[in-house]
Amino acid sequence: MANKPRVGIFDFTGCEGCELNQLNFEDQLLDILEHVEIVEWREAMDGQAEELDIAFVEGSLSTPDCIKRIHEIRRKSKVLVALGACAVQGGMNALKNIRPIEQVREEVYGQDKYLFPTLPALPISSVVKVDVNVRGCPMTQLEFLKVFTSLVMGKSPIEPGNSVCTECKLKDNECVFEKGMICLGPITRAGCDAQCPSFGQYCTGCRGLVPEPNVEAMEEILVAHGLSMDDARKKLQLFNANQLEGVS
Amino acid sequence: MARFYLEKGKVAAFIAHLQSQKTVYAPHRKGRNAFAFAPVERPQDVVLDYPRTVSSIKKYFLPPREELLSFNLAENTCAQPAVAPLDAVFLGVHSYDVHAVLKLDHNFVTGNPERNYLTRRQGALIVGVGFTPDRFHFSGSVGIPAGDTTGCDLFLHPCEGGYALEVLTPAGEKLVAGFKLPAHTSGLPAAAPFQQHIYVPQAKLKDVFAHNYDNAVWEEEAEKCMSCGTCNLVCPTCYCFDVEDAVDITVTRGSRERRWDGCMLRSFTEVAGGEVFREEPAARQRHRVYRKFKYISDETGEPWCVGCGRCTASCTADISIVSIVNRLVNDYDAVKA
Repeated sequence: MANKPRVGIFDFTGCEGCELNQLNFEDQLLDILEHVEIVEWREAMDGQAEELDIAFVEGSLSTPDCIKRIHEIRRKSKVLVALGACAVQGGMNALKNIRPIEQVREEVYGQDKYLFPTLPALPISSVVKVDVNVRGCPMTQLEFLKVFTSLVMGKSPIEPGNSVCTECKLKDNECVFEKGMICLGPITRAGCDAQCPSFGQYCTGCRGLVPEPNVEAMEEILVAHGLSMDDARKKLQLFNANQLEGVS
Repeated sequence: MARFYLEKGKVAAFIAHLQSQKTVYAPHRKGRNAFAFAPVERPQDVVLDYPRTVSSIKKYFLPPREELLSFNLAENTCAQPAVAPLDAVFLGVHSYDVHAVLKLDHNFVTGNPERNYLTRRQGALIVGVGFTPDRFHFSGSVGIPAGDTTGCDLFLHPCEGGYALEVLTPAGEKLVAGFKLPAHTSGLPAAAPFQQHIYVPQAKLKDVFAHNYDNAVWEEEAEKCMSCGTCNLVCPTCYCFDVEDAVDITVTRGSRERRWDGCMLRSFTEVAGGEVFREEPAARQRHRVYRKFKYISDETGEPWCVGCGRCTASCTADISIVSIVNRLVNDYDAVKA
């Protein structure tokens, strides 16, 4: 390819697991590099780029500096991809948003809290325009490759909007509720191939809620299966505290 | 045709006899409380007394995920994968699931014939089995008793100590040939009663559905519904799908995949440009039920629901298609009275 798309990879508040997952593409890494030129990636190289065709952004925005940086990245990037639950929904970090921010700050930094300004953990899309989401905690390689190939071809990737239940049904899985467990699959976005339910776990909602989720109905079902309303709420908040509060 | 006595102790040997002729698919335990059709490896793992499987045998003729096309963008070529008749025995199928396949046959032969489905369907032999209705089955209300043998080559009627094996077609006769069995001479035991009922015949349902488009039940049920799509995906007569093209990492080779989809899912009703043509969950709920009792039924004169109870049994929100239909009937009667 004559002019390979120039790619930058960026991280904000998160565990860097999604980024690391990109380095884990052992079988495809060389093929990926056939198609793009990586010009900025703090985790793997030095230097900064002036202009980017695609920016992959991991992590939530949780400090004033994050806000400044994400604006800079958006300004120089043609396409911005949010990578993983933290970038797409605010992720687990957003659990801090449900408590008074000063209390959280003091618990973490103690008397030095004034050195560390903090904001509620926000999804990238709440500050700048996000073109594509790659969901999950961590993001799945399968979905990343789909998005990556679509972008290299100059096409808009399709974002799954179905529930995780649909993927369980495609695999003839026994319903997690039938096993006496609870599950957030009914209102969680598909695209993971129902990985957790297929391996004996329940869906924790890491891929975010489906469009227009019926949260009340989900809460009632969790309560009917033995959770207190408070616990039901907590299960839902784990990855979706922001969406439940209307932040997206 | 003939009827033989197959005692419980000989069932595994009989399955092995079928295996010696063709691939056999039968229900197996999957997980704690679930059952699923799978190719038989060991006859003793087959479960013939089961309430219902997660999916019906539809999955073998219309696979949940199916490659329709592979292509190469550099060479500008494409190829359809070879599809062959399954040439297999489906053992332990409940009457409603056989009826569901016959209904799908109708759907896929009418209009644009569905080549892949119809090809796979060729040569499929069905060995039905009776069942004891649980609290979700209501196939009796849509004209399908537990012991209905329509569409089967052989049928296993549960009876004292085993099964009365009924031979229904020459193909079925051939399957049994060579397996020595005594004749079954006594009568068949009366079928266990259904616990769930729709109380009116299809002829009346036609009027009921013509007058309930704006019933409050749609909105009421939608409040409980999470639009997860489970009811569609487990339905043996649902056949809606989505098609997606994707390329692999070469960005040159790719394939077109078809996979099951369902009208309860908001994303299913989203079309190019982002327009959602059935936005309200209540409208989607109504559409699902109308697809089973009105839209196709008005043309064929038959309910397109086979009463397997899967949608209700697998609904985490406990939405019951039987309750919905009976509610429509009651409301219709109240208005007409």
